[in-house]
Amino acid sequence: MSESRITRRALIAGAGGAALAAPAIGQKLVDLGLPGGPSLRPLAPAFPGKDAMIVQRIRPPLLETPLGVLGDSAITPNEHFFVRWNWDFPTAINVANYRVAVGGAVKQAVELSLDDIVNAGEPVEVVAVNQCAGNGRGLSDPRVTGTQWGNGAMGCAKWTGVRLKDVLAKAGLAPGAKRVRFAGLDVPPMEGAPQFIKSVPLDIALRDDVLVAWGMNGAPLPMLHGYPLRIVVPGWFSTYWVKMLATIEVLSGEDDSYYVAKSYRIPARPITPEDKDFPTVSITAMPPRALITSHADGAVVKRGAPLTLRGLALGGDAALSRVDLVGEGFERPCTLGPDEGPYAFRLWEVTIPEVQQDLVGIGVRAANINGAVQPEALNWNPSGYARNVIERITLRAV
Amino acid sequence: MRALVLILVLALAGCERAPAVTFADASITLPDDPLDLPDLPGREAVITNCTACHSPSTMLQQPRLSREKWEATVGKMITTYKAPIDAAAIPAIVDYMVAAQDAEITSEAARSR
Repeated sequence: MSESRITRRALIAGAGGAALAAPAIGQKLVDLGLPGGPSLRPLAPAFPGKDAMIVQRIRPPLLETPLGVLGDSAITPNEHFFVRWNWDFPTAINVANYRVAVGGAVKQAVELSLDDIVNAGEPVEVVAVNQCAGNGRGLSDPRVTGTQWGNGAMGCAKWTGVRLKDVLAKAGLAPGAKRVRFAGLDVPPMEGAPQFIKSVPLDIALRDDVLVAWGMNGAPLPMLHGYPLRIVVPGWFSTYWVKMLATIEVLSGEDDSYYVAKSYRIPARPITPEDKDFPTVSITAMPPRALITSHADGAVVKRGAPLTLRGLALGGDAALSRVDLVGEGFERPCTLGPDEGPYAFRLWEVTIPEVQQDLVGIGVRAANINGAVQPEALNWNPSGYARNVIERITLRAV
Repeated sequence: MRALVLILVLALAGCERAPAVTFADASITLPDDPLDLPDLPGREAVITNCTACHSPSTMLQQPRLSREKWEATVGKMITTYKAPIDAAAIPAIVDYMVAAQDAEITSEAARSR
């Protein structure tokens, strides 16, 4: 491991050099460690209601949570929560005029005010991870196009709302209902471009923990997170968690809309980067993941001393069962922190009694109660979705 | 966020009422998008044809792509996302992206050393 490699992922303050389009000299940059680069990202500009975030894109906003911050708590504070919009969204919301239209294969189409939604059923709270389907895409090797996220496009919050099924009951399902589709107020600027609409099968829509939510960690949903209402589907990737919810449409057939039928899809079976034509399926439930957040790749640790590593994990669409520290020729179980529910982040820690040499290629491996375990090798796919390979780092003992 | 006051009044112990929620009008002022793009031939074509929908960073942060891949990407913007890109500008956009990526990745490698 070379010197330059070791410093790569550290926070680079005031990096100089003959930067062309690079952010102004003196600006703090974060190195996401993306193979082959470009890998540096600014922590600016600041967004309202947000602490320091990795700015992947200003418009429409793509903001990533720095990894060290992500590991601070099982609940991600709203000011650190990642942000992802496919299209521009309204910058003002008038609550008196706000309506959610419920239609399609229903007994009676209705337009619901915010009060109607809140009173549709009993309030429900669920703690759940919200993770971008493309989280970690930038780490794909070989690289793929799309938003070049590191692993910080996820967070865990306590969501408050009413059950989607209670909202659907205001309209009543018609016979033959198969899927439920959501649309928000974010729309493409160009006529004919696909709107970001997403649907889930009816059995998912009717789950007791699938919500039309207005609360995030005890506060109103921030505008950047979809004020006033968003869909919450615990255990599923955030592409289904439609923000600024405006329309709920019950479908009696398959969904042929772009972001379901053409995009957000993964190979039905494992492929290689050379494969061209293969069947695909929609990306839906999340697999387990774990990250070391206490130490960056290349960090220096003390030889001859104990070392405690910390981080977070998620079980995905089922509760986390265990996290193990894995390295060449050894495995060591990690101690899990408080259990906030099956869909939540869970902190973990593990202590190595005495560091004797460099810790080369160590990682943490999560498993869930359904038996899903993080794989050794990347399940490569051309869109970089659902990354859950064991993430490995090297720590240098001195 | 400005003037966003939504109060989640949690039910007090023993109260029968469900939590009350009050929504208030809300707005947000998003930061300016400075359109930071390296000064290379074709810059104007990129600003004119690409930045109506998204910031330049989306393009500049991609892994190094071949000319063919950039052509395919511009094509996808036109056919799928209905970007009103002037066909005559496509070669200039592609040339620019290839050159800008070279510059970006070279410059970054220099900074990391």
